[in-house]
Amino acid sequence: MAAEHAIALVVRGSDWSETSRIVTLYTREFGKIRGLAKGGRRLRSSFETAFDLLNVCQILFLRKAQGGLDLLTEARVEERFPALRSDLSALYAGYYVAELLADGSQDYDPHPILFDVALGTLRRLGTPPADLFVTLAAFELVWLRELGYSPRLDACVGCDQDLTASDGREPGFGFSPTLGGMVCRSCAASHRDRWPLSVLAWRSLRELTTGHSAVAVPTGVRNEIRQLLSHAVSAVLGRRPRLLKYVEAGSEAGGSATNTHRRWQPPKPG
Amino acid sequence: MGEANGPIERLLETLTQLPGIGPKSAERIAHFLISGDRKVAVELAEALRCVVEQIRPCRECFNLTASELCGICADSRRDAGQICVVETPRDVTLFERAGNYRGLYHVLGGRLAPLEGVGPDQLTLNPLVRRVHRGGVREVILATSPTLEGDGTALLAGNLLAGTGVSITKLARGLPAGGSLELANAQILADALAGRREL
Repeated sequence: MAAEHAIALVVRGSDWSETSRIVTLYTREFGKIRGLAKGGRRLRSSFETAFDLLNVCQILFLRKAQGGLDLLTEARVEERFPALRSDLSALYAGYYVAELLADGSQDYDPHPILFDVALGTLRRLGTPPADLFVTLAAFELVWLRELGYSPRLDACVGCDQDLTASDGREPGFGFSPTLGGMVCRSCAASHRDRWPLSVLAWRSLRELTTGHSAVAVPTGVRNEIRQLLSHAVSAVLGRRPRLLKYVEAGSEAGGSATNTHRRWQPPKPG
Repeated sequence: MGEANGPIERLLETLTQLPGIGPKSAERIAHFLISGDRKVAVELAEALRCVVEQIRPCRECFNLTASELCGICADSRRDAGQICVVETPRDVTLFERAGNYRGLYHVLGGRLAPLEGVGPDQLTLNPLVRRVHRGGVREVILATSPTLEGDGTALLAGNLLAGTGVSITKLARGLPAGGSLELANAQILADALAGRREL
């Protein structure tokens, strides 16, 4: 059993005993790992307070040969995201990132790009002038792409024809969740599950896939994009993410990182 | 130790459901209760029955009590202008042990942990807001755990109480009295620096 080093984001944790913790970590080097931190709840241990949620830490662990929990032996905090502690919309968005990383990936399936983008997302959340909607949508698109479910936006998934803005002016232009991409007017009839999508929303989505954090998404199309991404993410996870209702409530409240003092209302149950 | 599905096996299974009790500890406790003084086992059973039947949340603060109001809420010598908001009844015990707080409490019943399915509706936040709106409160002390989830819980409570006109405070963080700088980690030092006070 060799000791492994990694840089990790804490995406889930639960108390195992009076002193120990079980944590799920998303590492840059190994992807998702789950480990037991004996003494991980003690302040004076070789883990200190590293295993608080959404902390980035350097870890040392012993990899178990046949399944089961790895054994964490050391951890040191590398980075925290203090803005998440002062903006509830940003905190929920951070939890959402953690949920997608924890539940949307397999153990030991590394995606270093996804790890880097997740950290960049957490750094921007709650930090002016970052736009929470844009930050989260860009992360979701990278998450979908890294898992192999990137929505096809440049061409029709039915006939493979390139899409242009003029297509969007014709009725029938929309997004097919089943096929995971746009459908043109000609193919629309055979894809009844399509969602009508405005040209502006389509353009904004294409811009968001570039990964630029400064993309300006008009307020009028945010709901369209939110619905589409929520559906796409739920389809990949096989269920609706727990945090989506919080993220959607934040979007409806105009959850912008520049608005840190806005009074957040809890979402309705259900 | 006993036959399958027999009373001893049932006792062992029940004991292993308790926190920190593994199969070996369960066997040791069971053996003590069976082989030792029968009076202890009967007293334990009676105490457990009383707790289960009589203990309920306090009408006012949700601390555990055998009456309608807990001893702290019913005590007229306590300062009703201060409410210390904690996560669990166990936290009330810890603050009472500290001995220097004379206000009242409000037990949330957990902390906001959406990843584990604990949302605002699972906490006693609405009763807290109603309590503050009734008047007579000048300070709400948010004494949640110094973790991300604890801070999130305090943030939500603070948002809901904003505009009520009461002073909302949080517990200080940093170096423990009697500790040493050498043993403090980077976060403790950062918190201590951020929360420094003028002499």
